[in-house]
Amino acid sequence: MIELKQITKQYPGQAMPAVDQLSLSIPEGEICVLVGPSGCGKSTTLRMINRMIEPTSGIIKINGNDVSNTDPDHLRMGIGYVIQQIGLLPHRTIAENIAIVPRLYKWPKDKIKKRVEELIVMMGLDPEKTRDKYPSQLSGGQMQRVGVARAMAVDPPIMLMDEPFGAVDPIARTHLQDEFLRLQKEIKKTIVFVTHDINEAIKMGNKIAIFNAGKLVQFGTPEEILTNPINEFVENFIGHDRVVKKLNLFHAAEAMQPVRCLVHENELLNAAQKMKDTGTEVAFLLNEVGKSCGHITLADLKEFGEDLVGLRKKVLRTEKAFVQSTTSLPDALSLLLEYDVDYLGILKGEELRGMLSFKDIRKHVYRKEGD
Amino acid sequence: MTLNDFINFLTKNTSTIMEYTENHFTLVLSAVAISLVIWVPVGLLLTKNDRWAARVLALANTIFCIPSLSMFAILVAIPTFGLGRKSALFALVLYAMMPLIRNVYDGVKNVDRNVIEAAKGMGMSSGRIMREILVPLGMPIIFTGFRITVVMTTGIAAIATYIGERNLGRFISEGLVRSNTPMMVTGALIISLIAVGLDTILGIIEKRVVPKGLRINR
Repeated sequence: MIELKQITKQYPGQAMPAVDQLSLSIPEGEICVLVGPSGCGKSTTLRMINRMIEPTSGIIKINGNDVSNTDPDHLRMGIGYVIQQIGLLPHRTIAENIAIVPRLYKWPKDKIKKRVEELIVMMGLDPEKTRDKYPSQLSGGQMQRVGVARAMAVDPPIMLMDEPFGAVDPIARTHLQDEFLRLQKEIKKTIVFVTHDINEAIKMGNKIAIFNAGKLVQFGTPEEILTNPINEFVENFIGHDRVVKKLNLFHAAEAMQPVRCLVHENELLNAAQKMKDTGTEVAFLLNEVGKSCGHITLADLKEFGEDLVGLRKKVLRTEKAFVQSTTSLPDALSLLLEYDVDYLGILKGEELRGMLSFKDIRKHVYRKEGD
Repeated sequence: MTLNDFINFLTKNTSTIMEYTENHFTLVLSAVAISLVIWVPVGLLLTKNDRWAARVLALANTIFCIPSLSMFAILVAIPTFGLGRKSALFALVLYAMMPLIRNVYDGVKNVDRNVIEAAKGMGMSSGRIMREILVPLGMPIIFTGFRITVVMTTGIAAIATYIGERNLGRFISEGLVRSNTPMMVTGALIISLIAVGLDTILGIIEKRVVPKGLRINR
């Protein structure tokens, strides 16, 4: 666990301290995101943890030990450090770059070689092709992976990441974020992550610390912060679409309701009766092999009456209105609008697990908001 | 002057030519060696302190501006130096100060700050960062300074003939005085050959010294 107690950093000749009386506890095995506008002190705070910057006053403890009692070089060897500009050594190969910290620890050569190989694979790169290349021969996304691999080389329990995915294009960034989150599930490091992007913070953080003008404004889980922004600054920083952002925290499976009524495609006209029997307004249709292939609502049945052709056309339009249960709510919402339907079928693999309507999404968010 | 005169001069004065060439060489090599031992560490030290760097670089610039003939004259007037190799060496080492310090300083200062930041953040000591990162990455610029120094020293060394150095410069100065064209041309030609030759050799060495990763294009 990392504990910051009453940390202040005052640069000479500046009226305001860069970091002002900051106290923060970063729990073990979680990603804690420091987020805020530029110049808010988030990077300064991060860099004080590995003593790249010395605080003017206050104490930083890692697992109960005051960092100012540890030799700075030794302290840094034990903490992974990733920066936005990566800083790979241009005159060293990828393997040599990853081996820097193991070499500082004087690991034997074959142990280093094995570990480097392992990390290159872990980062989704091809060891044969990558190992002996120089940084200038890699793409931005690949370099960023090598940067992360290098920081993890000796498997440090703590990693400090300063806008690690800030310099790559949005598609590569999303990809890197997803991969990193997946990796974190296995490695469970204590990570301090700096970003200025609130969306990245919501996505990456188990905890979010919002900074402004050197002060910690709010600290909590993404849900807490999106639900109860503590003041106007946080509200503005999150943006007025905070409720939409909050949808990001949930999957379709969490908001769905069970499907009560299933009918076969060829008994469309009996659907109304079936829906009445089960007390619902929507029925999902099964084709001849029992796979769900669309849905029909009570309103549709009223509209088309005995017009089977019109009804079939209507059903055909809902053919694609299915998503996987792991789809995020904003994506599901977007698809509801795109297909112009009232319900989405929620699948797990091929199997129909539930359904989701605008009302379900609203209810889900409202329930969470009310908690 | 005909080609015959020239060849005649060469064959008749072989031993003198050898002696002067050797003298020239030893003066240049010892001046460069001393300069490297003194100025490279000074240049590296200056990268740690900007205020001192500005002062020392200004001093080096000033020294570099003094015409070489004036410099030799001034040194000869100082009793501890006087005529001879001591003055010659001292002057050459002073001239080498500017290109060596400046290029070592610029080379190291031009290294990407992010690379240094990342290295420091991984726990590399400042000595190790200097050895493994700053010097190798600054090498292209540092080596340019080294090449300039060698070529420049070869040229200025010739002028040291006026303060008693028996080297190739003597052929030129005496040749001029005695209107002995073959003598003059011999001196001029060999000095030029040495300068071009040394620079070529250094160019080949440079290719081996500059890290491979810096020479690779995508």
